[in-house]
Amino acid sequence: MEAKAVASTKLSPQTGESGTRRRRRGWVHSSKPWGAIALFIGPVMVYYGVFIIYPVLATFYYSLLNMTPTGGRIVTTFIGLGNFQRLLNDGIFIQAVKNTLRWGVVGPALEMLTATTLAVLVYFKVPLHRFYRTAWFTPVLVSGVIVGLVFRWVFNVDWGLLNVALRAIGLDRLALNWLGRRDTPLWCVIFVHYWATFGYSFILLLAGLTAIPEELIEAAYIDGASTPQTVMKVMLPMLRPTFVTVLILSFMGKMRTFNVVWALTGGGPMHSSETVATYVHTLAFGQQSLDLGYPSAIAVGWFAVVLVSVGLINRWLSRRVEQ
Amino acid sequence: MITAQRVGAKRRNTWAKWQRRIGLALLTIALLSFTLLVIVPFVWMVLMSVRTTGEILNDPYGLPRAVRWQNYVKLVTDPQVRFYRYFGNSVFVSFFALLLNTVLVTMGGYGFGRSRYHFRGRGALFTVLLLSLMLPGQAMYIAQFVMMSRYGLLNTRWSLVLLYAAEAVPVSTYLMATYFSQLPSELEDAARMDGCNDFGIFWRVMLPLSRPALATVILLNFMNFWNELMLALTMVTHPDLRTLPSAIMYFVGEHGSDYAMAAASLVVAMLPIVLLYLFLSERFIEGLTAGAIKG
Repeated sequence: MEAKAVASTKLSPQTGESGTRRRRRGWVHSSKPWGAIALFIGPVMVYYGVFIIYPVLATFYYSLLNMTPTGGRIVTTFIGLGNFQRLLNDGIFIQAVKNTLRWGVVGPALEMLTATTLAVLVYFKVPLHRFYRTAWFTPVLVSGVIVGLVFRWVFNVDWGLLNVALRAIGLDRLALNWLGRRDTPLWCVIFVHYWATFGYSFILLLAGLTAIPEELIEAAYIDGASTPQTVMKVMLPMLRPTFVTVLILSFMGKMRTFNVVWALTGGGPMHSSETVATYVHTLAFGQQSLDLGYPSAIAVGWFAVVLVSVGLINRWLSRRVEQ
Repeated sequence: MITAQRVGAKRRNTWAKWQRRIGLALLTIALLSFTLLVIVPFVWMVLMSVRTTGEILNDPYGLPRAVRWQNYVKLVTDPQVRFYRYFGNSVFVSFFALLLNTVLVTMGGYGFGRSRYHFRGRGALFTVLLLSLMLPGQAMYIAQFVMMSRYGLLNTRWSLVLLYAAEAVPVSTYLMATYFSQLPSELEDAARMDGCNDFGIFWRVMLPLSRPALATVILLNFMNFWNELMLALTMVTHPDLRTLPSAIMYFVGEHGSDYAMAAASLVVAMLPIVLLYLFLSERFIEGLTAGAIKG
């Protein structure tokens, strides 16, 4: 349990509440500086309320409406749960959900596997570890738009890097039209997003490893454990809280990412790489946007699904810690 | 006997040492190839940007025969491309969003972080603030669009300023509050003795001390604002007001076949962040690590 606390401090430092508790007794009798509290906390909460909380609540409300922009005004009709009914019969939506969930399983699995391995290696300071750390993190900083567009070229059928490389080693049969077929674009999206984000998971896991008290690792060595044993029996179990956090962050990232997909495939061709995020955008702001209520319903429904999934992942992994 | 044993041990040692070396060499080769996979697309993009599209199509792998700056020159000067405008728009939006966000979250972080301002329900309020980290942008941006259209802010850069500043509130406030909570309260007391009021303490004593955290927050936010696409596409459709990410999307759509030009535009769009990263890589990594909190 101690170790759990230590490992998570790095990711989520305390907000000073422990300090608060110690001093609170002293403030009971003196009057609270309400003016200063309002001055400091007021503006940020009001701003946050107006630009974040209100829009979220409004989206929930919109999901019950039919909203058609007509001549500069938006005409709304209340239709109750009609949007959600329509959602269940929408083939493209179901395709988008399938795609996104497939991504949500494959993406984090790939990412956690490689990022954990690499983090352990860098933790043991393999040669060039500082260089790796900086290099692997670079794609994280680059806009998803740039990543998506560059990989559009990498996957180009005639002169893209991938196909040129495949032809160069004699695998002409594998030089496909990666983004133009129906079965490969989703995998391209998964790969590109992995490429762009694994460095982030890697850095977080490395931070988690660094937070493990060194005495514990030394103790394992003194007890005669080999390095692989130390990794498997001491370090990885201690890394678990960080691992769960990073897994959830990674999963949520896949559920909401828009820019990479939009720049790489735009959800096409024929919705073969459509995700929920791109579908909402296409419906709401695409060429033939007619109704803002229905995409709101998708966003709301999808948010519920993601929330439940995250809860399940969290519960499943926490329970396994207790065993 | 003893000597023989020693020699055997020594031989085993050197053998183990060699085994280790070979293992490390193989590992290094594997890791370097992996790293190559990460870097190659960038390098390729930069190489493409100093060639002509004809050269690229003839020989996509080839090194540039001569470095041609014409794509960059065209980007900067061609009034039809208007790339400088988009760059300017991105600077405008990032700058004002950072300004607004910084004012809000330094004060908010101070209020949430210091024990002096604790009140019943502050923790709950802070949780509400952090809760939105769970929310995907899709769950609010339709309503934000309606809101902006209602107040006549659609197709203005201010819509992006307002929304970016808001989206960055939770993480930034959290980081600032964490930092402020760690400053000793003796500083507060001493400043009060000298006759400072609450705002004076914040402004003259605490804020200057929070510079490291503030730098991290600004860097993190700048990166996010500079790279943002979804809101940029939604709120601003007027060609003159687009920020870089959305402009590039359109640009590649319209000049789809002029790959060299497109590559140059990507390089320029990426440049500010990459330059910052070269000088401040540790701070970037630290900021992004600290920003990852479970909602």
